[in-house]
Amino acid sequence: MASVRLRGIGKSFGDQEVIKGIDLDIADGEFVVLVGPSGCGKTTLLRIIAGLESPTKGEIDIDGRRSNDIAAARRGMAMVFQSYALYPHMTVAENMGFALKLAGVAKEEIAASVSRAADILQIGHLLDRRPKALSGGQRQRVAIGRAIVRRPGVFLFDEPLSNLDAALRAQTRVEIARLHKELKTTTIYVTHDQAEAMTLGEKIVVLNAGIIEQAGTPLDLYARPANRFVAGFLGSPRMNFLDAQLESIAESDTLLVSVRLTDGTLVHVAANTNRAESGTSVTLGVRPEQFTVMPRDPAPGAIAAKVAVIEHLGDSMIVYAQVEGMPDLMAVKCGADAPVPPVGSGISLAFRPTHAHLFDPHGVAFAPD
Amino acid sequence: MRSTAALPWTLVALTASAALALLWLAPLLWAASTALRPEHETVSAVFHWLPQTWTLDAFAKVFAAGSLPRWLFNSALVALLVTMLTMAVSITAAYAFSQMTFRGKRWLFALSMIAFMLPFESLIVPLFRLMNQLRLIDTYAGIVLPQLVSPVTIYVFKQFFDAVPGDFRDAAVMDGASPWQVLRYVYLPVSGNIVWAMSIVVFIGAWNNFLWPFIVITSSEMMTIPLGLTQTQDAFGVRYAQMMAAALLGGTPVALAYVLFQRRVTEGMLAATGLKG
Repeated sequence: MASVRLRGIGKSFGDQEVIKGIDLDIADGEFVVLVGPSGCGKTTLLRIIAGLESPTKGEIDIDGRRSNDIAAARRGMAMVFQSYALYPHMTVAENMGFALKLAGVAKEEIAASVSRAADILQIGHLLDRRPKALSGGQRQRVAIGRAIVRRPGVFLFDEPLSNLDAALRAQTRVEIARLHKELKTTTIYVTHDQAEAMTLGEKIVVLNAGIIEQAGTPLDLYARPANRFVAGFLGSPRMNFLDAQLESIAESDTLLVSVRLTDGTLVHVAANTNRAESGTSVTLGVRPEQFTVMPRDPAPGAIAAKVAVIEHLGDSMIVYAQVEGMPDLMAVKCGADAPVPPVGSGISLAFRPTHAHLFDPHGVAFAPD
Repeated sequence: MRSTAALPWTLVALTASAALALLWLAPLLWAASTALRPEHETVSAVFHWLPQTWTLDAFAKVFAAGSLPRWLFNSALVALLVTMLTMAVSITAAYAFSQMTFRGKRWLFALSMIAFMLPFESLIVPLFRLMNQLRLIDTYAGIVLPQLVSPVTIYVFKQFFDAVPGDFRDAAVMDGASPWQVLRYVYLPVSGNIVWAMSIVVFIGAWNNFLWPFIVITSSEMMTIPLGLTQTQDAFGVRYAQMMAAALLGGTPVALAYVLFQRRVTEGMLAATGLKG
């Protein structure tokens, strides 16, 4: 196991700066997920940590030792690639033992290590096969096995589940989590899938355009997003955003602020808006599961809407509703048997002030109460 | 299901292919027919497709003349050396151009491609002078060395290495492989077919090469088969049966090599063109 510390890491390809000064601490044994949209620099950052790319600036410390100039193979890391990268001309056993063979380890010892890793992953019966004779899921296990055999200080995963179908992805996700619990090896995992990030990571690092937008525990990021990007990126369906204007702080002791939506509705949100003045344009954010659907109600704080689409997911239901003056449909997550009026009906959407988020004109969140 | 309308076209294509195959085969059959008849029949005023008297006399005489085994040995040695060394030079150069980063890489590659455009004939004089200065005239090294740099082979290998997924290299690097080990354990094994295909192409080229050995070889003992054939003509006068026998014997090893590795060559060519998924 090992800790990893990044300070001011930057990377440019020609004129294009893809990583812009990243600071990150990864503790010994921690499972950290780097998540972000395509092109945000997460894979480049992983490759820099692996030693497959050199940073243009900044320092990488592995276990407290500056490692910028240490070759990839000597960093004590093993990587699982998106394509698995299993050598097609070698059997599964040869693939898994290749690193040990290069290191000059005795054949018996290689066989024992391969066998141990195969037992952990339950792939002992596949050892004599070649990669082309394996299914996607089996290849994935072999790729993980190849990493385990090396007994690395850090596991690096580069979108390892993206080539699997949905059912296998969910199953492998659980296995990776189990494996981490068992081996307790520091793990850095790259994905663009926020569900994978939320379920696997002890710490999530949300990247966007080469910078860290926010890092923290999954629940912390979900409940207290630092900005509009993180709020919109984590959660499915994503958070609903409504344009609004700050009216006033209604009660100073509870920091409950009044916000007027573009359709004129006045709603209350628990947020500390000390740095803003009344009249400031803000964005109100409400997660789909925080909305409550009610029959059309003219009560204060209820947002008038019209049911546009209903998606039945079996265990739940997503209601998409149109709010007057808002370009996007609002998504509302309800129970599968919730009494939702049919498409075209008028409804009211309500939420608790402590369950909403407020963002300033730059997208930065006002701290919740 | 194949439509019946396609049948006439299939017949036309088959007939055309058969005609072309016969056209290609005719000189070879004629050479065999000439080699298998007595010398006096080859100059007979009456034309016969097949020998009137079948005999291996011409082959026996060519062997008895003494030099053919030596020329065959020279050709085999030179062709094998050229093939192995050209592969070694081309594969390592192509890997460096494809996968490694070093200063001046693009310029060096462009330079090697420019060499591709220069006809060999234009290099004969400087090469001969160089070999002379190195005292390599009439030596195996003198025949082999100038044939080792093959821009086409480098280009084909580079294109192939470019197409190998970079993750293989990265995985091997993470596994602790040096650049040489990445090439040896990953890139070469996955390039097996193309290596075979290019080896056969280079081998045939080296076996049939006439011009450079003609310039650099001065003694009969160092001659390769194509050069030896001209000597056969001189030694026996116009003895067509023996000339054809020598030509057939000289061409047999290379034809055998092709037949033996035909499948690998085809697979390699397909892999190089990307037609095989």
